Amino acid sequence: MTAPWNRLLRPKPLILGAVLASLACLVALALNREAGIGSSPTTAQRTAEPRRPALTAAEEQYIRELGPIHGDVERSTMRMSLGQIFYRTQDLSRAELGTRVKEALASYQAAETRLHALEPPTSLRSEHLEYLSAVRLFKESAAEVLKMFTDGRDDHMLVAYPKSQEGSNKIREVGGKFWPHEFPPH
Amino acid sequence: MLSKPMLNHAMRIGILAMVACLSSAGSLLAKDDDDDDRQQEQERPPQVLKQGFESTDQILSDIERAERGPKYSAWLVESSRFLNVPHRAFQPDVGDPAFVDLPVNIGIIKAPNGDITLYDSGWKQLAYIFDWNTSCCWYGVRDQMKAIGLDPDRVVRIIIGHGHWDHSGQLSEFPNAVLYVQKEELKQIDFFLDYPVRFNAGHIRAVNTIDPLTGSQVGPPQQACARSPVCGYPPQTVQEILGKVLAGKAKIVDGRHEVAPGMIIHPAFRGHTYGSQLLQVNTARGQLVFGSDTYSSWTGIRDWFVANIQQTDTIQQFLAYEKCYVLTSKQNSFNNCVSAHEPTSYTAAYPITSNWWNIPGGNCSRAAELTLANGERTHVPASPDRTPPASCHSVVPPHAIHP
Repeated sequence: MTAPWNRLLRPKPLILGAVLASLACLVALALNREAGIGSSPTTAQRTAEPRRPALTAAEEQYIRELGPIHGDVERSTMRMSLGQIFYRTQDLSRAELGTRVKEALASYQAAETRLHALEPPTSLRSEHLEYLSAVRLFKESAAEVLKMFTDGRDDHMLVAYPKSQEGSNKIREVGGKFWPHEFPPH
Repeated sequence: MLSKPMLNHAMRIGILAMVACLSSAGSLLAKDDDDDDRQQEQERPPQVLKQGFESTDQILSDIERAERGPKYSAWLVESSRFLNVPHRAFQPDVGDPAFVDLPVNIGIIKAPNGDITLYDSGWKQLAYIFDWNTSCCWYGVRDQMKAIGLDPDRVVRIIIGHGHWDHSGQLSEFPNAVLYVQKEELKQIDFFLDYPVRFNAGHIRAVNTIDPLTGSQVGPPQQACARSPVCGYPPQTVQEILGKVLAGKAKIVDGRHEVAPGMIIHPAFRGHTYGSQLLQVNTARGQLVFGSDTYSSWTGIRDWFVANIQQTDTIQQFLAYEKCYVLTSKQNSFNNCVSAHEPTSYTAAYPITSNWWNIPGGNCSRAAELTLANGERTHVPASPDRTPPASCHSVVPPHAIHP
């Protein structure tokens, strides 16, 4: 009667049993995880897992040199946008708005000159042109707003807006690639 | 006995008084405490702007006021999700688990007449998701609404809890909606763009400027938002706000404001950013209080922990928590505080979001039905897809710049 149990208690069957039990346990754990039964929230999977390739020295240098220009363009655009908002809410005088727009235009003109002086590597040529086109849009937008100070018509702001909006979209996309940590989770 | 002319005068004065009384009762303006301002001046905590202060009595009376309005239906949708954020970076007092996923929630509030109000509008900076590679599940809010049976063309207003890029994107997707933003929110961005370095010998700088002391750049790539008192407002986001202003579709609010019957904005200045605002909504489950990032974590409200410190005064964040406790004191208490980034959103652990489902075709983004008004049918599918996040595969949407 006890012979089969004695056989099972020998070392080989015991090890085999332990291995099978461990495997079953692993499968159960994996199934449990996949089913999301765990108590803490789990992470969504992304099918595409793009990794930004390491930058070459030339790319790093270009991005480093573009950084301060980007900073000036961003701040000029923000100051001009907020200036128009505060002008419409009557918190900023017409003269003060005029000063802001002139300063922004000068900043864009300087940015364009500085961009022309950069030598982007071939791999970043399209982003460079994209940024340059954004600055030109900002420049055109500022020039359009300035017309309101000569003919007195505030609707130049409306005409100017789509250009600055498009420029903002462009520098945000380029910025997202070059400075991915610029706007961390908020 | 009064003479006839005197009686006439008395009647005219009486009618004028009645009109004044009725008109003041119909609107709740930011500076409606002007009359007793001198008294308030004494009672306000230090360093609190007048228009940012609300007394407990005022908040309690807002419960009664909102209850006289209609009851609204409400849902949450997940604009996107930050993945694997160090927990202590989000909640310094809470470190278990070590990493968390943070949804970015948008509130959708529907009136009995079908008009829809959004509280926050999610984000739209797709390159950020793609290139930083730490987020998932973005899906346009218009498409999310359609997928859960709500008409995006009925959105009449968007109230942003604050102006950060991940909460104020997609404004241009709703050209007919009126934007509500606090003036203080815009003023602080403007001020900090040119932070006066004389205040601190130049150590604190506006983002993306050169530190005159070290010659190094403040901001990316070296420091992200470090050492900058204001960060998180890309030109793109401010441009969208400008677009609303130029189109005559913006209300720049200065403190308390009754948006519609049963819907009241409460200032929560420095509860997250300088011009943060809450939204109280009258519903069948009592007053809901949407808090955006001032209420970044619902468990933080429940357990009194700060969360997501940005331009935050922790006392003001706690005072904003307190406002929710007061507004919800008649029903459900803190369970009715609606959070923007609560990690347990869309699970039973955050009860108000427990009736959740994956948005059909929504790139793994989720929705939750919070409450229904009389006559509103449920928008939860008969067989809701509740595939857990770990088993859902999101994709990167197309965007302009690719690596």
